[in-house]
Amino acid sequence: MKKPLFRPFLAALLLAAPLLTTSCKNDDDNPTPDDENELITTVRYTLTPAGGGTPVTVEYKDLDGAGGTAPTIGTLTLAANTTYTGAVTFLDESKSPADNITAEVNEESDEHLVVYVPTPANLLSITRTDRDRNNLEVGLSTRLVTTTAATGTLKINLQHQPGIKNGQPNLGSADAEVTFPVTVR
Amino acid sequence: MLFRLAAALLWAGLCLGVVYPTAAQSTCTLPLAGRVTDHESGEGLAGATVVLLPGQEATQTDSEGHFHFHVCAGTYRVQVHFIGYQPEEAELRVTGAAVRNFALHPEAIRLQGAVVRGSRVEAPTPQASGTLSGQALQSTRGQVLGEALQKIAGVTAIQTGPSVFKPMIHGLHSNRVAIMNNGVRQEGQQWGQEHGPEIDPFVASELTVVKGAAGVRYGSDAVGGVVLVQPRPLRDSAGTGAELNLVGMSNNGLGAASASVEGNLRRLPALSWWVQGSIKQAGNTRTPDYWLANTAFQERNFSAALGWRKERYGLEAFYSQFNSRLGILSAAVVGNQTDLQAAISRGRPATDGQFSYAIDRPYQQLRHDLAKLTGFWKTGNGGRLTATVANQQDFRDEFDVVRGGSTAGRRNLPQLSYLNYTTTADLVWEHPHWGPFSGSVGLSGTYQRNRYAPGSRQFIPFYTNQVGGAFLIERWQQRRLLLEAGLRLDRRDLQTRRLTRTVVDDTLRYGVEQQQFRYWTPAASLGAVYDASTHLSLRADAGLVRRAPAANERLAQGVHNAIYEEGYDVSRPDGAAPLSPETSYNLGLTATLHDNPRLNGELTVYQNHIDGYIYQVVAGSFQTIQGLFPLWRTQQTDAVFRGADLLLTYAPAPRWLLSGRAAVVRARNLTLNDYLVFVPADRFEASLRREWTRQPTARLQRPFAQLSLTAVRRQDRTPGAEYDLQAAPAGYQLFGAEVGATVRLGNVPLELSLAGTNLLNARYREYLNRFRYYAQDQGRNLTLRLRAPLEFGRRSAR
Repeated sequence: MKKPLFRPFLAALLLAAPLLTTSCKNDDDNPTPDDENELITTVRYTLTPAGGGTPVTVEYKDLDGAGGTAPTIGTLTLAANTTYTGAVTFLDESKSPADNITAEVNEESDEHLVVYVPTPANLLSITRTDRDRNNLEVGLSTRLVTTTAATGTLKINLQHQPGIKNGQPNLGSADAEVTFPVTVR
Repeated sequence: MLFRLAAALLWAGLCLGVVYPTAAQSTCTLPLAGRVTDHESGEGLAGATVVLLPGQEATQTDSEGHFHFHVCAGTYRVQVHFIGYQPEEAELRVTGAAVRNFALHPEAIRLQGAVVRGSRVEAPTPQASGTLSGQALQSTRGQVLGEALQKIAGVTAIQTGPSVFKPMIHGLHSNRVAIMNNGVRQEGQQWGQEHGPEIDPFVASELTVVKGAAGVRYGSDAVGGVVLVQPRPLRDSAGTGAELNLVGMSNNGLGAASASVEGNLRRLPALSWWVQGSIKQAGNTRTPDYWLANTAFQERNFSAALGWRKERYGLEAFYSQFNSRLGILSAAVVGNQTDLQAAISRGRPATDGQFSYAIDRPYQQLRHDLAKLTGFWKTGNGGRLTATVANQQDFRDEFDVVRGGSTAGRRNLPQLSYLNYTTTADLVWEHPHWGPFSGSVGLSGTYQRNRYAPGSRQFIPFYTNQVGGAFLIERWQQRRLLLEAGLRLDRRDLQTRRLTRTVVDDTLRYGVEQQQFRYWTPAASLGAVYDASTHLSLRADAGLVRRAPAANERLAQGVHNAIYEEGYDVSRPDGAAPLSPETSYNLGLTATLHDNPRLNGELTVYQNHIDGYIYQVVAGSFQTIQGLFPLWRTQQTDAVFRGADLLLTYAPAPRWLLSGRAAVVRARNLTLNDYLVFVPADRFEASLRREWTRQPTARLQRPFAQLSLTAVRRQDRTPGAEYDLQAAPAGYQLFGAEVGATVRLGNVPLELSLAGTNLLNARYREYLNRFRYYAQDQGRNLTLRLRAPLEFGRRSAR
């Protein structure tokens, strides 16, 4: 009678075997600094005076993404009563070489809208000068006009609007949204 | 049929063997007769055993419940037994012809917990619990698990759109509710509110919810309660059977089919098996005013079991795989706080949308594998030993919308990709009854490894979690009183490896931060069940459970669904202690009225006081290059959850049934002296059901019709406005109806039903739906269900 009873016990021991083997597995693998798959680290706005002259560049840069080290934010200094041609650039500089995201935005221009909001509203005026295949504005290229000397801020917002873009700014989700201090003098 | 024949033969045999010889031996001729009936219905009970003492003369009642003896004058004791009823005994003095009738009480729910042959359902008794099986379960077919469980009073769900339902018991969810899938604790990414349980409800033949802490038996995750998903037991009679389930829904074009085949070999009666598979495909959900774009979802699942079962030992292997792809409402895709505010003030999707089965980004792609081996050995006088080993793999890929610069988008990869491997082992020894004592001791171990795929975003770091523990549950029962005490002690070891980024001299540097957290987590419980009368049971349970913080509560970090989440230990000040375990002190009292002909019901009141309750709270805004985000930080506080569940059924006339359910929860943050967010609103449900009886030969059997009303109050007990994105929505009422019947097609009893929910197409938003900010809930829906049990080949005598 004892013999058949012993077998299930052996089976139970066998059952426990997978646990013992897995437990002994090495757990020392570390997370690898693989490419973070969707990071915009840098927003750069370059303004060239229409009458010629030295371009003005302002940059918002956050190399380590959300959290950690604080971003560096530049100040935009412009001349009064001047017209500028603007170009906005989005980069991922956590990679080497840096990834230029502007090209992708341009490829999918019918899903993107760059929104410029100066505060106060009369600080400067910005017009988007490029259009997508649906003849809606995109905003990678702009014309900026200043009037009198003043200070304020400029918000630049890359809005992602797949399938819902209709020219309105408050749709979809922000891929980037940065605010620069502005001085017009 | 065979059973009836056997019963008739047995009865005839007993009449010949017992009654006839007594008549022959005895010269006494005083008749002692009577009738045995059901106490509730008054109907005669056929086949009840009537024993006359002294002398051990026995007979069985006839088809009307009558019995008779011929006896000499004297004093006799008469005992009556019938399966499913409590035995009765009477003493009577016979001087002339005597008549004694017996009205038997149906057996009260046995305290030891139900034992089903083929599988053992281990429901801890002192806690309140609710079960869905049979027709109640059938009327949830096609729904996901968390949605189906809401039929049980006190159970709600945190919802993320129409396809993700996270079970919530008495206001607690996620890390605080253990889900036991076929006896194995479901392990994966269960921490996330938008992560539904990866279980195919078609596998279940019974769903049970233990309401209240059950940490001793199920481990320290069971602070709020336990969901037990019990598959069909392996077939115990020779033959082959099958079952087909079909479900169709009008609102979202859902089509679901599940088929299972089971068998038991005549030549090898110990060997049984079943295989099951299901597919489900649903399109966009429709609200009264618009479609919910990109809420289509699909499932492909299968499972199989193979068992070898003898009287004294048995072995069973089980495997299941769950695959699902769930679209996430596109209107809920928002970038930062500005987008969020715009979407909320719009309050509805930007476009009306249309019907489609297409699933675009964002979507979740899930897979869960469970392999389990279990064996038992009845050791005769030594009790019963059960060993279980299970392996689980959980893959969760979240494909978010493709943003500028996304390599994931270019390579069609998920932005978040979690992998979780878990091995669990349990060894339980149930000792034999020692007088009034019964009980079990057990050992359990868990080894878990959580990773994310290379190239995907770190939201939860790498972690390894090891748990080893022992428990003891002892019961003492004497007549109407059962007492239970339990103790458990676990050792937990959580090791984490988190990738960190810092900027040094305008260059990005990576590092790995390693941490280890070790705790002893005890659990203790005391419970009592008292059968105050045949129709009233009283239960009480008190317990202590300590739960160690999970990896996400410590170290989650990143932007997810328009909020920036941060675990407590990511940014805790230097020198501050890490997150510590939370301790729950809980108490539950339940009164159950049962087996009454008209009025039955159950009332549960509970309190769960949690010291160091770990929760997420809005702690200001957070600046990123994507804009401002609300910052949700994990914090600890003291909290208390109190509430009551009420269930009442009343039969005003035969085959009419009026039911009512109510559930209220009150949750307070004791440290801030404020309410807690995301606590279920008061909920009331009422239904009226009518069943008809038909001739046994009729083609249409057991027809029924049911009307129901669900009323949910507005949640007006919410914390300060800064803790929620939007104030709680208005209360709502939903009407529903269901009709159904069993149609005999040849030998197949085809169960058909048609159910309608939200029949008036009410516009409403559920407070616990995380997408209530963006859109309404589901509009009118009609569901057609069909179930066909099939039996192949000749049935053999058992």
